[in-house]
Amino acid sequence: MVRRSGVLLKSAATGISSRLAEILVCPLTKQPLRMCEKTNSLISDSIGVSYPIVEWIPRLVPSDGIILQSDQDLNSSDSPQTNSS
Amino acid sequence: MAMRSIYRGLRRNDLRFKEVREDEKSQMVGNVFTSVASSYDVMNDLMSGGLHRLWKERLVSKLNPFPGMKHLDVAGGTGDVGFRIFDSIHSVAHRAVRDGHDDNLLGETQIFVCDINPNMLRVGRKRAEDRGLGDNKSLVWVEGDAEKLTFGDATMDGYTIAFGIRNVTHIEKALAEAYRVLKPGGRFLCLGLSHVELPIFKDLYDYYSFAVIPKVGELVAGDRESYQYLVESIRRFPKQERFATMIEEAGFQKVEYENLVGGVVAIHSGLKF
Repeated sequence: MVRRSGVLLKSAATGISSRLAEILVCPLTKQPLRMCEKTNSLISDSIGVSYPIVEWIPRLVPSDGIILQSDQDLNSSDSPQTNSS
Repeated sequence: MAMRSIYRGLRRNDLRFKEVREDEKSQMVGNVFTSVASSYDVMNDLMSGGLHRLWKERLVSKLNPFPGMKHLDVAGGTGDVGFRIFDSIHSVAHRAVRDGHDDNLLGETQIFVCDINPNMLRVGRKRAEDRGLGDNKSLVWVEGDAEKLTFGDATMDGYTIAFGIRNVTHIEKALAEAYRVLKPGGRFLCLGLSHVELPIFKDLYDYYSFAVIPKVGELVAGDRESYQYLVESIRRFPKQERFATMIEEAGFQKVEYENLVGGVVAIHSGLKF
């Protein structure tokens, strides 16, 4: 019981965001999304697009997507896999 | 002064509806709802004499929500349907038959309120906060497009769209997306303003729609054009039978519809097998 509430508290701040990333998919490719804490956005690695989260509401209309320009953008977005040289 | 404006409104009925090009439609819809967002709920009460609440209750009752369900309400901006589903699941009546196992399920309930317009969602989220549900994990507010949903295949137990399908540019795409995100066994429910065929009542309804509604929109929301668009979009929408066929074409089975108030409103439903 105590342990569970501890887990709940820990996930309170980041929990909503990571939960969202598990459930939501890229509206264009339907591939999974990745949460980026730094830019507070959801990244679609399949097409290199980032969807912003504004006032706790993720903006997943295709036209809201921002194309990530370069490998540098990808790296700065906490990419778990690094495919750069 | 008032008589002249009503007369002008009636005459406009004879002219062709404002032509809306496909590529313009979503931009126009976006502008309409940005404009009306803050007075949306008030306007709904005024235009329907409070009846819209009963219609939404009926929709949720037909949905028959259950604890632990994953539900998607599309075009649900200010959260009317979302909140009702949430309340239905958490209501005292339901609590009476629950046991310990159900408490876990309750926490697993997820109601996604999806809308293409951030202002509408903002109003909805504010309402959630006012009710103390701002941090509740069961209510998730997402900006998204009904034609390109941001949810995975077969993830939803239920899908509702209330008074939103007429604003979608490509109805078939929205229906196809609804089918995609529903799990097998999932239910599709659409509440929408529809067509009245009953003689005399039809004429009264037309008068009310074209003369009264835009005027009220002008006085209360300060936006006559948006409400003129609303009334025209209702007339342009396919009739009940045609829409039912479209739902079947999307793959749904057991497609039925129920007319409320002689067809002013219709609830279409379908099942994904």
